[in-house]
Amino acid sequence: MSTKSQVRESWGTSYGQMVWREFFKSRLNTACMIFIIFLFAAAVLAPFLANDKPFVIRIGGQLHFPLFGDLQPNDYCVFLAAIVGFCQLLLVLRNHRRVEPSIRGRVFWRQVSINTVIMVTGIILIFIFVPRRLDATDYKSMVASGKATSAYFAPVPYGYARTDLKSREQPPGREHWLGTDDVGSDVLCRLIHGSRISLSVGFVAVGLSTVIGIIIGAILGYFGGKVDFLGMRVVEIMMAIPTFFLIITIVAFFPRSLFNIMIVIGITSWTEDARFIRAEFFRLRNQDFVQAAVSLGLPLRSILFRHMLPNGIAPVLVNATFGIAGAIFIEAALSFLGFGVAPPMPSWGQMLSLGVSTTGRFLWWLTLFPGMAIFFTVLTYNLVGEALRDAIDPRLRKAA
Amino acid sequence: MIPTLLGITIMVFAISRIAPGDPVSLSMGPGGQLDAARAADVRKARMALYGLDKPIPVQYAKWLGRVVRLDFGDSLKHHRPVIDIIKERLPITLTLNLIAFVLIYVIALPVGVLAAVKHKKLFDRFSSVILFMLWSLPSMWVGQMMIGYLCGPTFENWFPPAGLSSNYADQLAFFPWLWDRLWHLVLPVLCLTYSGFAYLAKQVRAGMLDNLRADYVRTARAKGLSNAAVVFHHAFRNSVIPVITIMATLLPAMLGGSVIIESIFSVPGMGLLAFEAVTTRDYNVVMAVATIGGVLNLIGLLLGDIAYAIADPRISFEGSEL
Repeated sequence: MSTKSQVRESWGTSYGQMVWREFFKSRLNTACMIFIIFLFAAAVLAPFLANDKPFVIRIGGQLHFPLFGDLQPNDYCVFLAAIVGFCQLLLVLRNHRRVEPSIRGRVFWRQVSINTVIMVTGIILIFIFVPRRLDATDYKSMVASGKATSAYFAPVPYGYARTDLKSREQPPGREHWLGTDDVGSDVLCRLIHGSRISLSVGFVAVGLSTVIGIIIGAILGYFGGKVDFLGMRVVEIMMAIPTFFLIITIVAFFPRSLFNIMIVIGITSWTEDARFIRAEFFRLRNQDFVQAAVSLGLPLRSILFRHMLPNGIAPVLVNATFGIAGAIFIEAALSFLGFGVAPPMPSWGQMLSLGVSTTGRFLWWLTLFPGMAIFFTVLTYNLVGEALRDAIDPRLRKAA
Repeated sequence: MIPTLLGITIMVFAISRIAPGDPVSLSMGPGGQLDAARAADVRKARMALYGLDKPIPVQYAKWLGRVVRLDFGDSLKHHRPVIDIIKERLPITLTLNLIAFVLIYVIALPVGVLAAVKHKKLFDRFSSVILFMLWSLPSMWVGQMMIGYLCGPTFENWFPPAGLSSNYADQLAFFPWLWDRLWHLVLPVLCLTYSGFAYLAKQVRAGMLDNLRADYVRTARAKGLSNAAVVFHHAFRNSVIPVITIMATLLPAMLGGSVIIESIFSVPGMGLLAFEAVTTRDYNVVMAVATIGGVLNLIGLLLGDIAYAIADPRISFEGSEL
């Protein structure tokens, strides 16, 4: 009689579990993961961490919840995405315990597609039904004047777009923990909200470049010959133009927005991925399982992405992690040069550029803190990339 | 080489044409719309003047024809031929990058070799951590911190914060002038260098470690060769080859990086030119800088290939499978 646990033992350890274990062997990697989770939490919960509206306030004997009322549609979208993503993570963990290895991949893709549908419909519904509100009430002065009582504010009680010219360019102090910028906005608050921009640029841009790179690399590697020759010329051209010049050129000609920056970084950084995938597919093309898939008459899509891709994705995953660090850096550099998101939106690079004020004064808190935010985020992703490379594929391990 | 060159020009041209808006409506500005009928006439005339009324391929061919003769048109901001401006700016960026390049190799090779030789010893661990952090340091942050802490009135005032020479530089004799120039170059070059040498040293170390474990090194040691001979004569020579290819990947990063560094330190080079051109929407300059950047980069790649072939006689580019 075989119990459940015995069945599970006969499944053995999956590739994912092996990578997971190898990865978390090191304490440094664990610390990096914790930092990334912390960053994500800050980005998702930004309105609850730094907001000039109180959670609860009593005005004239009546309880109000201004912070919750002031949440914008995109805040709800972020929450929805976070919840769905978290559920997907739990489902993956559950799959490893409950689902047999042979069908695990199929189950996983079904879950992903269902969750994507939920997310997309949710976002559409949110944008249809949640109104854009603008609550300009100054609750703090209401509390100060005694009109309102029992107000509970967020830990950082400032809004990222709220300007206060009376307290501009203040060094860190009790009032503003990390000081204020040139229009009197709180630096800590803007840092917290800025993490949203950095992370979203990082992930969307890298997602885009990875998808483009995989598709192009797969086609070049699988077909070879003339297709490969022509395709590689295009890749070479892309690689020959200095990426940052290209990005700046595109940014110069197109209107500036967060969306454009994501796309620009995405379409300029796919060449590495394409080359990795192409090399892997060259190697895999003549192997038996691919030949079998071809002779079974499977459609090309299935051969490329179902049979070959899972065997060749490791270097791309590693590259994606470095890519996130790179994209965050490029976004910060663009914002620093003034080509980033428009000013009331907080971005780390744009905050950094305020470090030397227009009068030439050096504001160390506006240089140190955003710079540290960029540095630690980039460093963490680079460290995770190195660790993943070691964990995912011993072949890639450069003598450590 | 030539197809790649053509591809670069096509891409630069395509970006400028896909983009919304055109130079004519930009140069006419909002005032051009006061009298609609007249504005349309002026617009038409200007489109014809700049050749923008022709089909796109014809426009491209004409543009390419001019580019080949190094005629990039006039700068919309400076009202001078773009090529003249570039002639002034390019040497500065090239000097800056060449100095940085030499420094990168001079620092990275010994550090990488030493780290590999002292594998898992104190120096190796220490240098690995430092290099990794240097590699992740955003250059705009470092640049601004340096300006703030080392060349401002607030903290230390050791270095000049901007430019390439002091105001009185043209009255100086040669050596004081050189000293003044070097003094101005220290911080920008430092900023351009550190991330490159961190990356390169990591690669050198990895390559050296691979080679130090190889059988032929063990043979060499077994023969009784000295440690120095084994390290420098056997292992180092073989690990230098991949380092040369890295040159090709370093170059575009450095050219891009010079945009940030030059605009932080107000060094009047290509990077600052690109930055100014983008902020003032000086399209001719933007296109020229992108094209020339691409060409420079190609030259770098070519040099890398040649150096590669010289360093390793086994490599030939005839009939090789790409």
